Amino acid sequence: MSSPDPSPPPRTNPTDAGRGAAISVRGLRMGYGERILLDKASFDVQRGEILVILGGSGCGKSSLMKNIIGLYPPMAGDVLIAGRSIVAASPAERASLQRSLGVMYQSGALFGSLTVLENVRFPLDQFTDLGLDEKNLTARLLLRQVEMADAESLMPGELSGGMLKRAGIARAMALGCDILLLDEPSAGLDPITAANLDRTILTLRDTLGFTFVVVTHELQSIFAIADRAIMLDQVSRSIIAEGRPAALRDTSADPRVRQFFNRQPTAVTQRAGP
Amino acid sequence: MDGRSAATIVLEGRITAYTAAPIWRAARQTLARNSERPVVVDASRLVFIDDVGIALLFDLTRLQRPGAPVEIRGLAAKFAALVAAYDPEDLARVPRGKAQAGVLESIGRTTAQHFAYARRMLDFAADCGAALGLAFRRRGVIRWGEVLGVATEAGANAVPIVLLVGFLMGVIIAFEIGLVAQQFGAVIFVVNGVGVAMLRELGPLMTAIVFSGRTGAAFAAQIGTQKVNEEVNAISTFGLDPIRFLVLPRLIAAAVVVPLLSVFADVVGLFGGALVMATFDVGFLQFYSQLLGAVTAGDFVVGIAKAAVFGLVIAAIGCERGLTTGAGATSVGLSATSAVVTSIVMIVVIDGIFTVLLS
Repeated sequence: MSSPDPSPPPRTNPTDAGRGAAISVRGLRMGYGERILLDKASFDVQRGEILVILGGSGCGKSSLMKNIIGLYPPMAGDVLIAGRSIVAASPAERASLQRSLGVMYQSGALFGSLTVLENVRFPLDQFTDLGLDEKNLTARLLLRQVEMADAESLMPGELSGGMLKRAGIARAMALGCDILLLDEPSAGLDPITAANLDRTILTLRDTLGFTFVVVTHELQSIFAIADRAIMLDQVSRSIIAEGRPAALRDTSADPRVRQFFNRQPTAVTQRAGP
Repeated sequence: MDGRSAATIVLEGRITAYTAAPIWRAARQTLARNSERPVVVDASRLVFIDDVGIALLFDLTRLQRPGAPVEIRGLAAKFAALVAAYDPEDLARVPRGKAQAGVLESIGRTTAQHFAYARRMLDFAADCGAALGLAFRRRGVIRWGEVLGVATEAGANAVPIVLLVGFLMGVIIAFEIGLVAQQFGAVIFVVNGVGVAMLRELGPLMTAIVFSGRTGAAFAAQIGTQKVNEEVNAISTFGLDPIRFLVLPRLIAAAVVVPLLSVFADVVGLFGGALVMATFDVGFLQFYSQLLGAVTAGDFVVGIAKAAVFGLVIAAIGCERGLTTGAGATSVGLSATSAVVTSIVMIVVIDGIFTVLLS
């Protein structure tokens, strides 16, 4: 039985290694209206790599992710997915590129009228010819990977924030997209579940060769999973650091980076007395 | 494997969500055809599998029968670990959905739910009454800025649609009655019918129906979204009363704007009727003169009073549905729908009560 791969979205599996980055951001300027959040941002995400996007609240981490996905058009610059521009793509090409990305949004973004199992099965229902038994089995395996096996018949309204995120990750993985973008995956999770999720991410990278772009604040998760991190800064509207998290923490000359990794509060300016 | 010759399934290349369906079907068919002998799945030529591919391999292993084992050979260790991570027994145990209730249990539950709902509505009405009473006794309770905002959105912005509906109601009533009355030479009495119908019934009724669809639903959706976002909890934990804070401004605004909108509907409805009557050779002056003799100030006041009650009821139902919204976007939609349906039913019921009491 042969298995040719005429799948619509382009695959960027590590078995294709050597053919460029999974994601390439070039001279990106993004923002809302007149407000620029990030300017002249350039970085690559290599295949099979786990890249973490860091930065303080409001610096544009989630917006950067949405620019990468092609939900928001950048003000300038380009984003290449497997070498193809998602910015210049036609609507049909963009849809195809977007299908090659598995995305988990901050809130999980599950469909409220579907059960958890139906949510995870949804991409398989839409884009594959699999039978119902086969789709259900795949969805159940995915739910077990994120430790949500017992919640399959619940509605999203019945789930906690952490459960919504885990189900969102399972849905993002359903089509076997080899590039996964996760927005704050471990925020709101208990330490054990967060550690398990980190392990799941590493397992998926090591076994299936997935590429991950993870937006997170969680220092423990960052050190556990990140191959490389980029740090955004709200004031300079730029990437102020890039490298391995441990190296950034231990050797960065930038006080903003050290402050972030060492979880130090901002110094309070004392007003002189009368 | 035992002494019997084993059937072989060869998997090769890439198995992904997009390519797995025919492979999966063929593999299952092969297993079904060889249900009495061992099956070897040769996975040595697999280049890549995703979660669907892993599900396929796992499915093949769990479909093995006593005496007809399924063995996967040559699978890369990293994929084998993923397949082995799942327990076939565990996955076969599918969580059961909610048990179906019997007929008697369903009737009992539904009855209890309706009683509980009626009691909740009475409690809510009592709370609203108390809040309104407090608002009139003590200054500063009513947030007038909020009342004005709601009145502008629910009232001023609704004027065009109310004018259109009111005008068309006047035209339709005059025309339908006029055609019948013409056969009996009683065209002039159509003015009486149009006048009484618009002032006492159709003006307030149509205004209320437009208001429930436009504003009652919006109240339910707004407050429902606030409930989902835990804004209502935040109001409560600040020590504020959600009824005073969220419901009262809407009740007051609705009680004021619905009668005003009803006046607009009355006026344009009568104007529409007058236009139609002109085609039946009843001029404007004659229409006006006949109208003065046909309707009383009482008819107008009854219509306005009805409109005020309709406004209060629609706002109360919309707010109550918002405050009892469950979790998630679906619940907000259900609350909005329920608010409109309940409001329209209540409008008709209240109109009937008015008619009986004042006849």
